[in-house]
Amino acid sequence: MRISSSVLGLRVLEVVLGGLFFYAGLQKVLNPYEFAEAVLAYRLLPESLVGVAAAGLPWLEIAAGLCLGAGLKRRSCLLLLAGLVAGFLIVILITMARGLTIDCGCGLFFERQVGMGAVLEDAVLLIWAAGLYWWELLRSEKCGPGSIAPAGP
Amino acid sequence: MSRGWRQDLAWAGFILGAAVLFGLAQQWPLVRASWRGELAPRLAQVRDQRRAEQFQGVKTVNLAQAYALFEQGQARFIDARPADEFNELHVPKSLNIPPDRVSAGVAEKVAGLAKDQEIVVYCGQVSCDLALKVAEKLQALGFTRVTAYLGGFRAWDEAGYPADTGK
Repeated sequence: MRISSSVLGLRVLEVVLGGLFFYAGLQKVLNPYEFAEAVLAYRLLPESLVGVAAAGLPWLEIAAGLCLGAGLKRRSCLLLLAGLVAGFLIVILITMARGLTIDCGCGLFFERQVGMGAVLEDAVLLIWAAGLYWWELLRSEKCGPGSIAPAGP
Repeated sequence: MSRGWRQDLAWAGFILGAAVLFGLAQQWPLVRASWRGELAPRLAQVRDQRRAEQFQGVKTVNLAQAYALFEQGQARFIDARPADEFNELHVPKSLNIPPDRVSAGVAEKVAGLAKDQEIVVYCGQVSCDLALKVAEKLQALGFTRVTAYLGGFRAWDEAGYPADTGK
């Protein structure tokens, strides 16, 4: 089966995005109490729900990242990741509006505070995930669901 | 297209549910402590254990001890927060060594201080590790009387202790 360069590019972008979220989730799972502390610092959730968020979100990142990288239910994973990032972007903007200077708990490779850097990073990830989703949806219209064949003849 | 979108959403909901359920089971002690309202003391306990392992040999002081050292006027305070937070408000006459300059900035900024100078390092709040990181770095540079105040500037400010915007 011949795979076009655009499809290969699509898969590479998906694997990289999936890998980033898998890594981010893994870091949080390995340090659950540090992540819970970061969630608590946002002061958006009641303390009784901080544990649920701190326990669930990292595994959501891992599951979506892993499935996306492995090519399983790619569009659903992209939808999940886009929703996750969009939600987090709103949380960051609310936190900035409230004037809180806290660690964002979102830095992939280094600690980062809530601010424009985190907003930009999230905006890029959102465009990345939503764009790939849209691309996948258009391709499936042409080629059928789950196809990795080129869209053209 | 709408059918495809709905299917995607349904699978996304399934993955979400499965991941969250797995997470709740895997981190059950954390979830239970949070649900029972015992999260803050549990976090403090875990934080203290981690710091004891990660920053062995760094002495710490509490708010009252830090203020006593400030009142005596012998100790030099070092603010480990980012520059914009330092410029907003800080302990009077403190030096700012922000996190992104921890490696290169410490030696340069404390060049004029005697090695046996009493130094107190602080950061923003009780959960931040920057004070410990800078204190560890200072010890490595040969300073012998370094302590980290772990309550953070927030607790200092809330206690009504002196603070200013001067550099």
